[in-house]
Order: sequence, then C-alpha cells, then structure tokens
Amino acid sequence: MTKIISSALMVCGTVLLACSLLFAQVQRPGEYPRGVKPSPMMNFFVTSEPIGDGGNLGGLAGADAHCQTLAAAAGAGNRTWHAYLSTQARPGQPAVNARDRIGAGPWYNFKGEMIAQDLAHLHGDTMELAHQGNNLNKLTGLTEKGQIVPGLYDYSDPRDNDWNYAKTTRFSTRHEMLTGTQTDGTAFTDAQDHTCNNWTSNASPAPGRGGDLNASDGRLNAQIGFPDRNGGGSGSWNSAHGTRGCAQEDLPKTHGIGLFYCFATN
Amino acid sequence: MANQSVARQHAYVLVASLFILASCLLHAQFNTQGITPPPGSNPSPAKMTFFVTSVGMGKGGDLGGLAGADAHCQALAAAVGAGGHTWHAYLSTQARPGQPAVNARDRIGTGPWFNWSFAQLGAPQNAVISANLGELHGDTLVQAQRGSNLFKQSTRNEHGQLINGVGDTPPIQHEILTGSKWDGRAYDDNADHTCNNWTSSTTGSAQVGHSDRIGNGSSWNSSNATKGCSQTALESTGGAGLFYCFAIN
Repeated sequence: MTKIISSALMVCGTVLLACSLLFAQVQRPGEYPRGVKPSPMMNFFVTSEPIGDGGNLGGLAGADAHCQTLAAAAGAGNRTWHAYLSTQARPGQPAVNARDRIGAGPWYNFKGEMIAQDLAHLHGDTMELAHQGNNLNKLTGLTEKGQIVPGLYDYSDPRDNDWNYAKTTRFSTRHEMLTGTQTDGTAFTDAQDHTCNNWTSNASPAPGRGGDLNASDGRLNAQIGFPDRNGGGSGSWNSAHGTRGCAQEDLPKTHGIGLFYCFATN
Repeated sequence: MANQSVARQHAYVLVASLFILASCLLHAQFNTQGITPPPGSNPSPAKMTFFVTSVGMGKGGDLGGLAGADAHCQALAAAVGAGGHTWHAYLSTQARPGQPAVNARDRIGTGPWFNWSFAQLGAPQNAVISANLGELHGDTLVQAQRGSNLFKQSTRNEHGQLINGVGDTPPIQHEILTGSKWDGRAYDDNADHTCNNWTSSTTGSAQVGHSDRIGNGSSWNSSNATKGCSQTALESTGGAGLFYCFAIN
C-alpha cells in the first residue's frame, strides 16, 4: 500500500515539476515579473495603465506627466519622460511630431534590451532599415513594471471589447498604443482627426461603417500601433489603424485601452 | 500509527494533485495560441489563397527543388479542400551557369491573397494577407515601414492554425524558408542562400523570414540565414523547414 502511494507521489511530483517548468518558461502577458526591478538603463516603456479618459490625455503635457508618474513609481523618475504622441497643426499652432519629442536613443526596455539604436532605426528611415524593422516586439515591448502587453487571443474573452470588464483586469487584450502618428513618426497633415483633437477629446462619434477598424469618414479617432506587431491594418508598431472613437469605452472595441509609449529624452 | 502515516500520505497525494491541477489549468489558460482557429469560424478553406505549410518535407533544405516544394503546397492544399487553386511555394533560386535566377515574388500571382481564417473584431473571415505584391514586399518606403497584414495571427497554416512563434511553448517553428531578399528577389552574390536551390540537406544555408515578425528585426521574408541545411540545423534556430504557399489563381 505504502509502495503504491510512494510511486503515486513520485509520478505526481514528476508531473508537477514538468508542468511548473512548462509554465515557468513563459511569463503570462499582463503578469508582473517576480522580484525583478527595472534595468537602470530603462528609457522606454509601454504605460502599464491608461489615463482612463479615452483620447483625452490632457494634451501632450498630461500624457508626459503620466509617463513621468509611472516612471517615478517604478524608480526611474530621474529621467525626463515624454509620451510618443503627435499633435496635428491648428490655426496658429504648428504640428508636433512624436519622433521629435523622444531624444536620440538608443532606447532600452525594462530588461535593458535595446528597442532601437536611433530615430532612423526606430522608424525605418531608409528602405533597408524599414524592411529590417526595429527590435520592438511582443517580448520587448514591456511596461514600466516589466509586463508583456496582452495581445490578440492571449486571453480569449469576448468581454475584451468591453471597458467595464477590461478595467477590472490586467489580463485582457490591450495592445493598441495611441500614437496619432504616421509610420515615419510625424504628425498627419490631412484635414481628418487622428489625435482625438490633439489628445483633448473623449467624444464618442456616431458609428462609422459597420465592421471598420476606424471611426473613418473624418470622425474623431486616434491612430494606434502594436508593440507586438500583431493586429489588423498592418503589424506596424506606430501606425496601423484608427480607433472607433475617443471615449474610453470606444478604445476596447478594437482591443486598446488607451496605453501609449513613453521614451526618456535623456 | 500505520494508519496515521497512510492518512498523511493520502493528504500529500491530495495536495500534490491539487497543485498539479492548478498548475496545469494556469498553463492551459495561457496557451490558447497555436491550437485551433477562433470558434464559430465559417469561412471556407476553398477560398484560401495563402498558407504556411503545416509540416516541412522532413529533409531540411532539400525540397526537391521548386517543383518539389510546389507539389508539397498543392498536396497540403488538396488535403483540406483547397486543391482548386494552383499553388506555388514562395521560394527563390539563385542563378547557375545556363540557369537564370528565379524570384519568389514572380511566382505567386498578383494577389490579393487570403488566409484560411482570422476572426477580426469578432467577424470570422478569410482575412486578407496583402492586397498586392507592392504591399506584401513593402515596395515604397511607407509600405515598408508599415508592413502588410502578414502578422502572427493572420499567418496560419492550411488548417487555420497558428505557427508557434517567440514566447510560445516550444517547438518554435517561425523560421520560414524563402531564400529571398526583402524585396522578394533572389540573391545575386556567390554565397548560398537557398540550400543549393532547395536540393541540399547537408551543407549550405537558406535565408528565412519570421511568420510572427519577431527576430533580428521584423521581416516576414528575409531576416537571417540558417546554420545549415539539415533538418536538425533548421530546428536548432526555431525552424522546421516550413514555407509559405500562395495560390496564383
């Protein structure tokens, strides 16, 4: 009897070990790494939390302050942090390009892994660099807390599209980063809105055409990109498609919650 | 005394079993990728005009030349009811004496190409991979910066399943044979980039791209060279000898 129990225990132990090893191999998206602090080199991160008022970030100043607060809480407040966001030209107010706000690089993530060497590498300024791509991907696009950002089907929950659910968990799809930017990192120059009125609007426009990723037809929306290079429109990190609107509830409809990229300028 | 000991051991078994169950459940919850297409899909494999081979040919970089690779595409497609198209492998071959180079991009028709199934925003569909050759290859700077719709969730095999990529449970199979440069054309230097035009399973090397667009940059068709041409060499760096298949009609 004891022998049977012992061998049962042995088997269980082995299975347990194997299972834990398998499980330990990958950090679940959204999960905090245990006992790990950000690399002192960290000068890039994805915000772990949204501001929470949709496309109204309080303008660039409000977004920068969010970056700075999150960085400080993670012990990286000694740098000057800027949000990777563009604003569009308005009468008497020139456009601001996201790429002009983030210093010169190189940029490193939570683990000290290099995201890009310089502005040209980050944006793919030449055909060769553009084809090669930068080093931002699902496993390097980490939050200031070291989390992998949950992407498509990491957690197959239909409630991912509902902010009332998404705000209760760290484990829902949220891989759309607000950028308001074209692929080369500059502001849009057309007459349509791509920045939720320069990050001051939380309005929910009338629905666009059914099934569209974008609000489209000139409605208020924000251009987004994917740190995991894995989503509709294209796999672009900074300019894949627009959102359905600017209200906080609009953002989850296409799998975002209003997160954005932060870069240190020094 | 003996009874107490047995009881204690029973308790241990119970606790251990609970741990195993919990640990496996947690693991299963995470690993939702790479198994099945999204539920409720009703698009048809017959409408598919793009897939990644679900299996390699088993002999590393020896695919029996372009003809062998094309036949592999055709057979896999036919097995899932997509044999009504003419299928070509996305592979280049390099020039040899009396034998001009073949560019992968010249072999795959003009698009648009659709995968088996990708539920975008809850709407199951034969999702578009790329509208045309220019978008697929990034022929303009903006196209190149942006990338195409060929990304991890859309780049599926002929069964509609995902290809294991970086961060997934091994074996990772995201290194896809292409033998091509970024623009989809053959190399014109003297080095081997095609496992001797897809006939070598020993020496040489093949250029690969990443189906999840992760690894040495984010190129789907030209990110790095394999360490060799044997099946083992391909597997040692996260490949399996898989390749892209496109329908030309």
